[in-house]
Amino acid sequence: MDDVPQNLTDSADTTDKVDDKWISSSCSLCYSSCSIKAHRVNGTVVKIEGNPESEVGKGRLCGKGVSGIMSHYDPNRLNKPMKRTNPEKGKGIDPMWEEISWDEALDTVAEKLKALREDDPRKLFIMRTTTVMTQHIPPFAFMSAFGTPNASAAGGGLHCGNGAHLISGIMHSSWSIVPDFQYCNYAVYFGASKGHAAGHASCSNMTMAADARARGMKMVVVDPFANQAGANSTEWVPIRVGTDAGLALSMANVLVNELEMYDVAYLKAKTNMPYLIGDDTRYIRDPETNKPMVWDSETGQACTFDATDSADMALEGTYMVDGKQCRPGFVLMKEHLKTYTVERGEEITTIPAENIRRIATEFAEEARIGSTIVIDGVTVPYRPVAAIAFRGSQGHKNSTYNMLSVDLLNHLVGAADVAGGCLGFNPACDGYPETGRLKYIPHPDPDGLMITGSWMGPHGPYPINDPAPPERVGLQNLFPMAMGSVFQASTDQEEMWEKFDFDYRPEFLLNLGANQIMSVGNSEATEASLKKFKFIVSFDIFATETTEFADIVFPDCGYLETTDSRSNFPFIFSLPAGLGDWCWPIRQEVVEPEGERRLFADVLQELADRIGITPDLNAAYNAWFELEGENRLKPDRKYTFAEIGDHDLKDKFGPDKGLEYFKEHGLVKWPKKPNEVYWRAFTDVRVPLYWEWMTDTWEKTVAIAGPKGLDIPQEYYSPLPDWLPCPSHECNHEDFDFYAFYYRDIVHTNSLTMENAWLDEAAQLDPYSYNIAINAGVGREKGLQSGDLISVENEHGHKVEGRARLTETIHPEGLGIGACAGHWARRMPTAKGKGVFFNDLVELDWEHSSPNNLTVDLCAKVKVTKLEAAQ
Amino acid sequence: MRWGMVIDLKRCIGCYGCQLSCKAENGTPPGVFFARVHKQEEGQYPTAQTTFLPVLCNHCDDPPCVDVCPTGASFVWEDDGIVDIDADKCVGCRSCMMACPYSQRFLNDEPQNYYGDQGATPYEEARVQQHQEGVVMKCNFCRDRVRNGQNPACVENCPTIARYFGDLDDPKSEVSRLIRERSGFPLHPEKGTNPNVYYLPA
Repeated sequence: MDDVPQNLTDSADTTDKVDDKWISSSCSLCYSSCSIKAHRVNGTVVKIEGNPESEVGKGRLCGKGVSGIMSHYDPNRLNKPMKRTNPEKGKGIDPMWEEISWDEALDTVAEKLKALREDDPRKLFIMRTTTVMTQHIPPFAFMSAFGTPNASAAGGGLHCGNGAHLISGIMHSSWSIVPDFQYCNYAVYFGASKGHAAGHASCSNMTMAADARARGMKMVVVDPFANQAGANSTEWVPIRVGTDAGLALSMANVLVNELEMYDVAYLKAKTNMPYLIGDDTRYIRDPETNKPMVWDSETGQACTFDATDSADMALEGTYMVDGKQCRPGFVLMKEHLKTYTVERGEEITTIPAENIRRIATEFAEEARIGSTIVIDGVTVPYRPVAAIAFRGSQGHKNSTYNMLSVDLLNHLVGAADVAGGCLGFNPACDGYPETGRLKYIPHPDPDGLMITGSWMGPHGPYPINDPAPPERVGLQNLFPMAMGSVFQASTDQEEMWEKFDFDYRPEFLLNLGANQIMSVGNSEATEASLKKFKFIVSFDIFATETTEFADIVFPDCGYLETTDSRSNFPFIFSLPAGLGDWCWPIRQEVVEPEGERRLFADVLQELADRIGITPDLNAAYNAWFELEGENRLKPDRKYTFAEIGDHDLKDKFGPDKGLEYFKEHGLVKWPKKPNEVYWRAFTDVRVPLYWEWMTDTWEKTVAIAGPKGLDIPQEYYSPLPDWLPCPSHECNHEDFDFYAFYYRDIVHTNSLTMENAWLDEAAQLDPYSYNIAINAGVGREKGLQSGDLISVENEHGHKVEGRARLTETIHPEGLGIGACAGHWARRMPTAKGKGVFFNDLVELDWEHSSPNNLTVDLCAKVKVTKLEAAQ
Repeated sequence: MRWGMVIDLKRCIGCYGCQLSCKAENGTPPGVFFARVHKQEEGQYPTAQTTFLPVLCNHCDDPPCVDVCPTGASFVWEDDGIVDIDADKCVGCRSCMMACPYSQRFLNDEPQNYYGDQGATPYEEARVQQHQEGVVMKCNFCRDRVRNGQNPACVENCPTIARYFGDLDDPKSEVSRLIRERSGFPLHPEKGTNPNVYYLPA
C-alpha cells in the first residue's frame, strides 16, 4: 500500500458536500414504477438505485431505471410554456414556438375550455400517457369534472391491453397474468416478456423468474422471435405471427379430448362449465330466480347453480329442462375443441403437430391435477403450470380469443390463482392491518360469475355493459368490451361518426404526455386525426411528434420532480404477484422542478379553478381516491396534488402516516397471507369459460349497427373462443412474404425512452434494437445480408426503411422490429432518425381492428426490397 | 484476499442493467463501458439461441496490461488484487489497451458528454468531468464502494441476481463455492492471464 498514490486510497473528499441525501421514490421509465433511491449531492442527482426495502423492484433496476438521470437532465426538456406561431400543422412543419408566461398560457387555455364546456363538454378529448401509471387519476378526475366521456391512453390499450387486460380482468380479477414464479415448474409464454425487463412489476419479475429458472422451472416460449424471453427458454417454439389461439386451442383439444386430463372438481366449482346451455346458445335459467341452472347428478334434476354441491353438478350429458334440450357448457367446449386437431394446429401455426401434442402432454402431466401443498400452514391446491400471454398474443384482430384461448389452458387443469399456477397480480387483499382500509376481494354477480375486487378504471371488465348507440368518440358504448379504440385515430372515424349520427365532433385535445403519433398506427392517419382538432394543449416533457401539433405547450415535471401518493396502487397493476409483502411506496420530489416546469395535475387544478369547476374536480378526486370522513377534500379549496396525496395516505394508513411519514420512510409494507395470494380456493366465484353473453351482445350490437350499415361479424361474438385470421393472413399478393411485427425492446419503453442518451447508445450497440430482424436462411435466399438498407412495404402502400439484421432466431415468415423508434421531432435530437418506425405499417380502420374489443391489428404482411447494400 | 466476480449465465437475461448502472456509478463518457453485455446467437433455426455475455475487466492475477505499462500507471492493489490505473501517471500511450486480451480498457478521448454542443448536464459536470481526459480508464470493481462494504454497482443492481462478488482466496466464499459446484469458467484461459471473473454455464 505504501507506494500507492494518496489520491487513490480514499473516497472523494466529502467536506464540500452541503447536501448529500438518498431519497426514496419511484421510477417512471416504464409503468412498473419500481421503487428507487435517488442520490442527490449538492442539488444534483448523481445516482439512481433500486430501493432494497421495497417489494416493487426488490431493490434492483433494469437498464432503463438506472438511466433516468439522463432523461431528467436532457437539455431538450421543456422548461417554459410555449405557443405556436405557425398555424400550419404537419409532419416536418416547424411550429415556430414562442415562449410565453404561465399566466398567458393559462388564461388562453382556461378561456377556451370555459367556452367549450358551455357549448358541449363532450367536445373535449383527453389523452394521457400510460407511463406514469398512478397519475391516471388526475386525467380521469378532470374528465368527470368537466363532463366529457372522451378520453384515451393513446397507444395504451390499443397496443397493450384491450384484450390482455379484458381477459386478465374477467378470468383473474387483475390487470395481467404471470406464472407463480415461486412454485411453477412449467410455464408456457405466448408472446409475453414477464421476467424479461418489460411488463408490469418488471424488475420484481426479473428476479423472481430468474429464481424460478434456477430452481428448475421449464420455460417454453412461443414467439416468432427468440431475442428476449426466448433466449432464456428451455424450449423456443417459433410460431407464425398472430396464430396463438391456434396453438392454445390445439393444446386444449389434446388435454380434453386426447388425454382426458382436466380438473373436474375445478371446472365444476370454479367455472361455468356445468351451466346448462340451450340450443339457442344461452343458459337455461330458473323461471323464478332467473339464475343459470345446472344438472344435479345426485337428484337427477336441474337446479340453480347455487342450490347444490358443485361436486354433484354434471359436466357431461344431454338433458331436458322445462321442455328445452340442453347440455352442460363443458360438452359444448369439448365438441368445439375437437375441431382443433393438432394437425389443424400445425396448419395454422407452422408448429409441428407432434410438438403441439408433446407440449400439451407435458403441461397436463406437470399440472399434477388433484394435488395440494401446505404453505405457511395453509393447504392450497397445487398446479405448478401456467400459460401466460400479453402483448404478442393480444395485439391482433383476434385479440380477445387469443388471450382467452391461452388462459383456457390454465382453467382446464385448475391452475388459476393457486400455488404454482397462473396468477393475477394481487386480486384479493385483506386490507392494511392497522386501519382495515384497502380491503377488496372478487365477488360474484347474480350468475355466480366473478366481478373484480379492484380495477384501474371506473367500470370493471365484467359484467359487460349492454351495447348502446355510440356517444364516445371511440364508439366504446357500442363495443362495450373495448378500452382503447381504433376510432380515436382511424382513417374511417369521420365515416363512423356520420354513420352513427354524432351531433358533435371532438374539437379540443388535452394531451397529457402521450405521443399518439408514435404510439397508435401509421402517422398519416394519426396526423390527420390530430389536424381535426381546433385546439390542442399538450403537457409534456419533450416537444414530441404529437406535441408539435399543439397550440399551447405546458412544460411538465418529470418523475424526479413529482410527488404522488400512490405510485403502485392499485396492487393489481405493478405489485409483484405471489407470496411476499404488500407494499405501498410513494413518489416524491428528489429535486425541485427546473425552469418553469409545473406538475400537470397542479395545472389541471389551476385550470379547474379558472373555469369554475373546482368543486366538481374535488368531488371526483374524493371518489377516485375513495377518501372518507375528514380526509375528504373540501369542495371549494384549491389543493396541490401533493396535498391530495397527504389526504390519500392518511385516509388509508391513519393520521400519523401522511405524506411526511412516507417522505421519510418511502413506503409501508406488511406480509401477504397464503389465503390472499391463493384466493381462488377460498372465494366462491366462478369464471366464464363459456361466454354466454356474447350472443346477446352481438344481437344488441347488430340491432344498433345493422341499420347504420355496419356489419358486425358474428364469429367474433361466439361464446367459445376460436382462432380467426388477421388481415395479414388473408393477403395473397405476390412478393408479400413476411409477417412484420414489433416487439418491446429490452432497453426502451414505447416511445418514451428513445430520447435518453444512455439508452439510445445501448440500443445502437444491440444487434436488433434499431434494425430489422429477418431469418438468415430466408434473407440469404433473397440476396440480403446484415446491414443492407431495405424497404418494408405493406399491401396498402405504407412503407418503412431500415437496416436488415439476419438472424437464426426468428421464424422464417417473421420480420421483427423494435417498436416506437424512428422519431422525427425536431427537438428530440437523440431520438431523431434512430431505428425503424414500425407503426407506419399499421392500418387504422375497422377492417384492421377487432370487431369485439376495437384493438388494432399489429401485424402486416409485407414485401421487402433491397435499397442499398451494406456499407 | 483476492476479489473476484461470478456471472451466472443461466440467470442473465441481457437487460443491460449492469452496463447502465456501471455507467451511472462511474460517469463514463460516451463510448466507454466498464461493463457491457454482448448479445450473440448460437445454432441454427429452429434450435438457435440468443446468448448474453456480460463482460468487464477480468482483474487478472497476471495482467499483461500492467506488465506493458511504461509509466507504472497500471498496477495491482496488493491487498485485494484489483487491477487499477493511476490517472496521474497515465500518459495515454494505449499499450495496455493493446495488451489486454479482453478489450476492457478505454481511452478517455472525445466526446466528454452525451448532448454534444448542448453542453454537459449537471450530472456530467458532477461525475463525468471527474475523469482526466487523454488517459486510459477501466473497471476497478467499484473499489470505493467495495472499501465501504458495498458490492460493485453492477452486482448490487443486477435484477436477475446473476452477479456475485467475493474473495476468491477464501474457499468458503459464495463465489468460490459457485465456481466449484457449477463448473465456473473464465474467458480465454489459454491467454494465461489467470482472470478473476468467472462464468457459470447457462
